[in-house]
Order: sequence, then C-alpha cells, then structure tokens
Amino acid sequence: MAGVNNFPFLSILTLGPLVGAAVVACIPKAKGNLAKIVALAVSLVMLVLSVFMWVAFQVGGDAQRFQFRESYPWIPGLGVNFTFAADGIALVMLMLIAVLVPLVILASWHDAEQSRRSVPVYFALLLSLEACMFGVFAAADVFLFYVFFEVMLVPMYFIIGSYGTAKRQYAAVKFFLYSLVGGLFMLAAVIGLWVVGGKTFDWVALTQIDIQTGTERWLFLGFFIAFAIKAPFFPFHTWLPDAGGAAPAGAAALLVGVLDKVGTFGILRYCLPLFPEASQWFAPWAIALALIGIIYAALLAVGQNDLKRLVSYTSIAHFGFIGIGIFAFTTQAGTGAVLYMLNHGLATGLLFLVVGMFVARRGSALVSDFGGAGKLVPVLAGVLFFAGLASLALPGTAPFVSEFLVLIGVFTVNKTVAVIATLGIILAAAYVLWMVQRTTQGTLNPALADIEPMRKDITLREKVVVAPLIALLIVLGFYPKPVTDVINPAVEATMQQDMGKQDPAPTGGGVTEASR
Amino acid sequence: MIGANQRFPPPGDVALVTMSTNLGRMTGYLGSYAVLGLLLLAGALVFVGAFGANRLLRPANPAEPAGKRVAYESGIDPVGGNWAQMQIRYYVYAFLYVLFAVESVFLFPWAVVFADPGYGAAVVAEMGIFVAVLALGIVYAWRKGVLTWS
Amino acid sequence: MEDLNLPPIDYAALSPILILFGVACLGVLVEAFAPRRARHPVQLVLAIGGSVAALVMVVLERNTRVVTIGDAVAIDGPSLFLQGAILLLGIVSLLLIGERSLEAGGPFVAQAALTVGSEKDNRQAQGAPGNTEIYPLAVFALSGMLLFVAANDLLTMFIALEVLSLPLYLLCALARRKRLLSQEAALKYFLLGSYASAFFLFGVALLYGYAGGVNLQQINEAVAASQNSDILLYAGLALLAIGLLFKVAAAPFHVWTPDVYQGAPTPVTAFMAACTKVAGFGALLRVLYVAFEGVQWDYQPVIGTIAVLTMIVGSVLAVTQQDIKRLLAYSSIANAGYLLVGVVAQNREGVSSTLFYLVAYGFTVLAAFGVVSLVRDADGEATHLSRWAGLGRRSPLLAAIFTFLMLAFAGIPLTSGFISKFVVFGAAIDGGQSWLVVAGVVTSMIIAFPYLRVIVMMWLSEPAETTPTVSVPGWMTSAAVFIGVLATLALGVVPSPLLDLTNDASLFVR
Repeated sequence: MAGVNNFPFLSILTLGPLVGAAVVACIPKAKGNLAKIVALAVSLVMLVLSVFMWVAFQVGGDAQRFQFRESYPWIPGLGVNFTFAADGIALVMLMLIAVLVPLVILASWHDAEQSRRSVPVYFALLLSLEACMFGVFAAADVFLFYVFFEVMLVPMYFIIGSYGTAKRQYAAVKFFLYSLVGGLFMLAAVIGLWVVGGKTFDWVALTQIDIQTGTERWLFLGFFIAFAIKAPFFPFHTWLPDAGGAAPAGAAALLVGVLDKVGTFGILRYCLPLFPEASQWFAPWAIALALIGIIYAALLAVGQNDLKRLVSYTSIAHFGFIGIGIFAFTTQAGTGAVLYMLNHGLATGLLFLVVGMFVARRGSALVSDFGGAGKLVPVLAGVLFFAGLASLALPGTAPFVSEFLVLIGVFTVNKTVAVIATLGIILAAAYVLWMVQRTTQGTLNPALADIEPMRKDITLREKVVVAPLIALLIVLGFYPKPVTDVINPAVEATMQQDMGKQDPAPTGGGVTEASR
Repeated sequence: MIGANQRFPPPGDVALVTMSTNLGRMTGYLGSYAVLGLLLLAGALVFVGAFGANRLLRPANPAEPAGKRVAYESGIDPVGGNWAQMQIRYYVYAFLYVLFAVESVFLFPWAVVFADPGYGAAVVAEMGIFVAVLALGIVYAWRKGVLTWS
Repeated sequence: MEDLNLPPIDYAALSPILILFGVACLGVLVEAFAPRRARHPVQLVLAIGGSVAALVMVVLERNTRVVTIGDAVAIDGPSLFLQGAILLLGIVSLLLIGERSLEAGGPFVAQAALTVGSEKDNRQAQGAPGNTEIYPLAVFALSGMLLFVAANDLLTMFIALEVLSLPLYLLCALARRKRLLSQEAALKYFLLGSYASAFFLFGVALLYGYAGGVNLQQINEAVAASQNSDILLYAGLALLAIGLLFKVAAAPFHVWTPDVYQGAPTPVTAFMAACTKVAGFGALLRVLYVAFEGVQWDYQPVIGTIAVLTMIVGSVLAVTQQDIKRLLAYSSIANAGYLLVGVVAQNREGVSSTLFYLVAYGFTVLAAFGVVSLVRDADGEATHLSRWAGLGRRSPLLAAIFTFLMLAFAGIPLTSGFISKFVVFGAAIDGGQSWLVVAGVVTSMIIAFPYLRVIVMMWLSEPAETTPTVSVPGWMTSAAVFIGVLATLALGVVPSPLLDLTNDASLFVR
C-alpha cells in the first residue's frame, strides 16, 4: 500500500489537465472535433487516476489525516514549496471535479460552436480550469493555494466572457472583480500570516503558531471575506446569479458545483484550523450571514424568471446550509457540510446541465418561454424533475443525508438556528416545484411546439451525461457510508485537534449510526 | 568686519576708514556697509544735482521736430509688435559661448596648481580629456554647419 | 598651504559609467563625421555594444564594495544591482528605439526644429529617415542613471540627475507623429523637471548648512550628533525628497507623467517608464537609507502618506482613462506608490523587495509599450482605447501577450507582478507598516478595473470597422516584447534566482 501511497497522484492530477490544455490550445481552429476528443480523453484519464487515488486512500484506524503528501521547493527565499496533500475533505472534492469535468465537456459538446469563437480554445480553457481546481484543493501550502485560487479566475473569466450569453461581458467583469477583491484581502492576510508565522507557508507549521488575538481576528477576516465572496455568502453573493446566468451551462455547472466550494473548503481548511479563536469569535456573525442567505436567496429564487439565475440563487441558499454546518463546530454538522458540498455539486451540477439542455433547445432561459415542455420532451422533463427533487433534498437522494446531518448537528448546539434553517427546506420545495411546474407541466406553450429542436427528446450524448450523476445521487442517498468514512476523520481532526472543540453528547444513537 | 577694513585700508583715504570705524561702533555688525551706503547716497546726490541743475538752466520751450523721439541713429527701428523674433543663430552662438565660458572657470584654478608636486602628467591628461569633451561640442556644431552663415 | 592629495580613483568600479559616457561622446562624433546613411546602423551597434560592455563590467565587478573618487561614488550591492538593471532594461529599450520597420523612417522626427504643420514638416513625416542623435542622447541618459544610483554625495547626485534628465527632455520632443503633443510633453517635462531640480538643489544647500557637507555619510553623522537646528534638516530632506519623488512620479509630484508619457515617442516612454523609475528609486533608497537612517521615524509617516496618495491617485485616475498610453502612465504612478511601500519598510527586505519590484515592473512595462507601438493605423499609433476593440479577433497572439501583461500589472499569480507585490507588502508588514499594505490592497482592486477593461475591449468587444491593423514587428521590437514577456513570466514562476540576487545586493556601504 505504501508504494501506491507514494505515487504522485496530486501533482499528476494538477499537471495533467494543464498539459492537455496546452495540447488542445495548439489544435487548429478548423479541427474542433479533434480538440473535443482530446479534451474528453484527458479528463477521462484524470477520472481514472482519481478513482485509483480514492481506492489508495487509507481509511480508519491509524490512517494519516493527510495522505499523498509531496513537497518540492519552489521559492526557497520566501519559504514557498509545491506541497500537495489531501485529507478526506479534499479527496471528496477532487473526486467531484474528476467526475464533473468529463460530463461537462460532453455536455458542452456543441456549446462553443454557437458562439462563433474558437472551439479548441474553449476546451483548453475548461482543461486549464480543471487543473486549477485540482490544484486549489490539493495544495497544502498557503501560498500555493493562493496562487491556484487567483489563477483559477482567468480561465473562468474567459469562458464566461467569450462563450457566455447576452450579458456576458458585464457578468465576466463582475465575476472577476468580486473574486479579485476577495483574493486581494486574502493576499494581505496571507502576507500577514507569513510574517507572523515566521516566513513559512507550510500549512502544518502554520497551525502550530500562536497569534495575538487582535492580529488573528484581522487575518481571519481577510481569509473569510475572500471565501465568503467565493462561496458566496450573503451579502457578497450578487455576482453569482449574473455569472451563473451568463455562463454557458457546462461552465455554470462547474462554477457553482466546484468553484464555489473553494470558499467553503477554504473556511474549513484555512480559517478554522489557522485561526481557531477568531473563528469562534466570528462564528455568530458567520452563522447569521448563512441564515440570512438561506432565507433571502430562497425567496429570490422563487421570484426568478430566468432558469439559470434561479438555479444560482438556490445554490446561494444551499451554501447557507453548508455555512451553518461548518460554524456549528461539531463533527456531525461538519461532516454533513462536507457531504453537502459533494452532493450539492452533483445535484446542482445535474440541474445546471439539464437546464442547459432545455436552454439549448429553446434558445432562451426564461421560464415564461417554456410551459408544458414535458409533452414534447418527456424524458428530459423527467430528468429535470429528478434534479429538482435532489436539489430540494428529497429523502432517498443524496442531498437529504447531508442536509439532515447538518440540521441535526446544528440542533445539538443551537436550536434556534436549526429551526430557522428548516424554513429554508420549505422554501426550497416551493421554488423547485414551482419551477418544474411552470416549465414542464400544464398546457403546452404554443410557441414551443414550433421550435424544431424542442421536439427532440434526450439524445444519447445527453443520457451519458446525466446517467452517472443520477446514479451517484441515488446511491449516495441510500449508502453514504464510503464517503462519510473518508470525510469523518478529517472533519473530526479539524474540529477537535485544530479547533479544540469537543462534540456535545449525541442526542440520539440512530443519527450517529446514519452518519457512520 | 571692521578688522577686515583695517587690514586693507584704501590707500590715501584714512578719513573714510576712520569714519566707517566710528559708524561701525555706532551700528555694530552692519558698520562696514555704511561705506557702501554713503557711496550710494553720494552717487544719488550727484545724479539728482546734475539733472536738477540741467532742468534749472535749460531753455523752457523745446522744439518738436519730426522723428525727435525715435531711437537714436543706429538703434533698431521700433516698428511692429513687441514679440520680435530673433534669428535662431544668435541662440546657437550663445550656447557655444556658454560652453567655453564655463570651461574657463575650471581652467583657471587648474592652471594655478597643475605644476605643483603631486600633480603632473595625469592631471594634464585629465584636463585634456575635459577640454576634448567640450571640444566635441564645437566639432559637432561645426560639422552640422552651425558656424557658416548663409 | 597644506598639500592637496588627489583622491584615489577605482577606475574598474567606475568603468560602466565611463564606458557609457565614452560611447555617448563617440556617438556625437559619429553624428558629426559618419555619412548620413551609415549613421543609424553604426549608432545602434555602438549604443547597444556600449551598454553590453558596461553590463559585462558590472557583472565582472559584482563583488566590489567600495567608496571611491573622493567619496563621491559608492559602488556597492544596491548600486551594482541597479546599474545592471538599468543597463538590461536600457538595452531592451534601445531595441525598441532602434526599430525602423514599423513606419518609414522610424518613430523619430527627422528635423525637430521644423515648424509643425509646415510643408517641409509634412514632407519629412512621409518617411525622411529619422534623427539618429537619439542614440547618444539615450546613452548619455543611461550613463547619468548609472551615476545617479551610485552617487554618494548630493552634488554628484545632482549632476547625475541633470545628465539623465536633459537628454530625456530632448528625447520627449522627437516624435515623428503628433508633434505638437510631443513638443508640449517635452516643454512640460522640462519646466517641471527644472523646478524639481531647483528644489533638489535648494534641499542640498539646506542640508549643507545643517551637516557641513554634502556627503551622505557626513549627513548621517550629523543627523546623529549635530547641534544645528533640526529645521534645516527637515526642510532640506523635504526639498530633496521632492526632487527625487518628482523623478519617480509620486503624487502630488506626478502631474507631468500622463502628458509626457502620452506625448513622447512610445519607445522613449518605455525607456522612461522602465529605466528612469529604476534610477529614481535607486537614488531615493540610497538617500533615505544611507543619509537619513537616523530620522527614519520622522519621515516614515510622511513618505507613507505620499505612498498612499500616489497609489490612490494612480489607481483612481487610471479608471477614467481613454488612452492606452495615459492608462499606462497612471498605472506607472500607482506602481510608484507600491514601490514606495517597499521603500518605507526601512529594513533589508524593504531594499531587496524594491529592487525586485523595479526589475520586474521594468520588463513588464517595456513589453507593454512595445505592444502599444505595434497597434497602428494611417495616423501612426492608435492609442485610443476604443480603437482596441476586438483586437483579439484580428491578432490573437498580440492580444494574448497584452492580456498577460495586463494580468501581470493586476498582480495575478504566476506573473512577476504578483511576486513583486508580495515581497513589497511582506517587507512592509515586517516593518510594521500594515496600513500601507491595506491601502495597497484596496488600490490594487481599483486599478484592476482599468486593466480588465482593456482585456474586455480586446477580447469581448466586437471589432469595429476601423480597428487598426497590427503591424508586423521587426525583429527588434519582437525581441524586446519577447524578452519583456519572458521576464514577466519567468520572474513569476521561478523568482528565486532574482530574489536571492536582490537579497545579496541589499546592503549599502558607508
């Protein structure tokens, strides 16, 4: 096992798509299909590799918290290393990326052609985005993390700006500026941490240092603002509906499904362990923001007429759940939050991809342009319905497990918060069901029947795209144990070793059983 | 200050020195400037006296022939606006003059000491380089045709 | 009469300065005697060859640490590093200056004295071979810069300041197109520059009154022990600083920058943005660290305030700019602010990070102006931002390069811009100046917007009917842009060698 564990999974995962992107970018414009195939092949290789990594990851007993650690010197003068390492939380996110990217590439097979821009460049951008996403979750060096965190913006910016829909320029610039603002706050905090921590960027070393309370709070704030913008939490969320609405559906699935998880992941990996006292001090505020986000975004989602914006708003509400899960500081809620990050990626990814299929057929993302679409494309409508149900966390789908874990975990420490958050579930039912009803149910919108592509139900390519996601959502809904086994030790270590929090006595044995 | 005056008394003008020392005693620090003040005063008096006498003695009904108030003889005719354009060559000559005027400022002190022990050939060479660099300017001006009027 | 002893002169240590000065004089002779057609190649080879020779001497002398020629010049780590940097950047600028294939006769006017718009002027604009006096002028300016960063007394520094400034004033006036703008720029630069020089000189006089000497060590000792009134010291320092801050374009002494950067011929703008900035900051560092270390607590807040003001002015005004050269000018002002953050840190990291920043910024800005010189239409360079719309479609490679440079200016990781901001801010936090870092971060956000707007213009806007063509660059511009981009990338990905070098070079001799 040691041999496999020493295999440089993480650096290959990071470099592989980058090399792939370079190759794809060099393919001439005319050979768009070749570019697509190469990109798909590269992402599939990464998927296979990460499945191997999943298998090689040791669980239980004396398994180390961080595995696959690699470290190469980069800028010795500044104490910067290429250090990669994955704990259970990162591993889950890496798997999510590896699964989603090939599906997204497949789903956006024809997206780039419509925009009259270079097809190979689009897929090269997707691959470089994949590289950055792998890097950001695999980094165990604060500087390296920051580098990926910032560089990630560039491919996404061009994907939205060049290949998006009508308001793409505005959305792209807004996305970039918001993220950059957060990133620069984080830069100040990173530099501060570097100076306070004795000129090192090593995550493990930085968790050991003692920081003065005042300094710690400022540094926490720098990191937290960056992550809150990225996640996004209320009131930093306004860029997401614009970006999600303007991005091509595949890219939007990645944006909401993975990119935004960097925010919540960052809070778990950096804010809590590095600044435990400050995290506790700020926790009430963070929870308040998360709660507002849950209710506010859900209300806005109900009122949306644009499908992609609607899905973006639902995500903001879901991030609120993840937020309260993290800041409850219990293993149970934390595990729920991480599981939620995975499940939300799958469910919302699916939802975005299906919505993208509808939009591609109709040529419009407005709910009012649909109506009764189920009569024309029954299977596709069914998939949308399933994706909606998964998104509202129906029991039997994966998100239910995570939402339940979060609520139970929060309930043990703060009943009020849990009760208010439950309101979000009701609103979720409202916006999802209403959306499904207005688009696919009821009488057929006469304009719809005249549109040629709308008569074509789900194609084989689209089936291949949605099938794995549906399967995963159902399997993880009934049997989340393999995933929670991976997540649990990492979250426990975060809460107990790094934060020094002891879990309150479990209120019911059944719940802990469900989570194990 | 007074000491300085006493060390170099103006020959044959002892009275003035005495007076200045007396004034110096009266006004202290500024005493030595009293000489200058007196000189200025005397000059003003001579000027005022001469012109005053002129005014008193001259006839009182001057003639006004044509052209009386224009500039005298070889002066430039005061015609046109006051923004007269000068020939650009004047400026070039002025620059060239400045080139060598500045040079001489350095040449004189050098000339006083270059023969002293400890100086010698190196110092001559250095001044040679200095003059050569300046000469570069005039060579350049000459080659560019600045020195020929056409 | 006591014996005068000639001060020992370390000719080897001074050789880079002397070589450049000699080459410049030779250039004047070439101008006077070489046949007209041979002048351009001869001058170009002479200027670049001389700079390379000087650079070789700097490298050979890299371990020299000496104060020579009667304590007038200090050759130490920072001055050798800065001299090397100036020479490297200067060589790249000379490549831009030497480009003749972009328009007939090159970017410089044939006869600067012709009345603008006259018939003769129009005829020369059609392609008379450009002025070749620019080479000796540029080399004179370079030699002045080399002396400026090494000057160990204030009078030498003043002379060097004049030697570097006067040719620059002239160079600004020599644009072939848009000559009125160019002449206006030169006159403005000259008048304001003269004021700044006068301030500098006045400051020197006051400091002489305070310390009884103009040598930096003497001033340092006097600061520690002098009985004279501190007003002389502070007034002198303030006036001196004004002179230097003018040269580096720090607010509120920045007003000349946009006009001059816009009006000057683009290669000259690149030369000023890269080399003059290095020289100005080199001298500022030496004056503050060597002579005024004893009063650092007094001037730190003042320079810090100026840094904040500079960053704010540069970034906020950059947002409204419609002309790419003016935008880069305001960006250069903002960058002067970031550099000042490093200067104010007042520790060894402060020096080394400033040195790093100067080199990184110099290469990036050279490449950026190199690209600007390529985007042209019938009237010469098309610098209005709206003309750049859709450039990414017409010439993706050029637009990609410029995008990369803009991202570097914005401080995105994996570019030199990020590492340099990082080290500068790190030094400032280390030096207890966190408030400057906060200001730096906030202004970085503001100035990211104009950079982004250029990117949006190039890639996301539809090309207009009149989108200018991108000229095929000659090998010299290509080389300059390539070197600049390569350095920007390399210093962002593998900054270690230069970081180590700046670290070793960050100690001043006394």
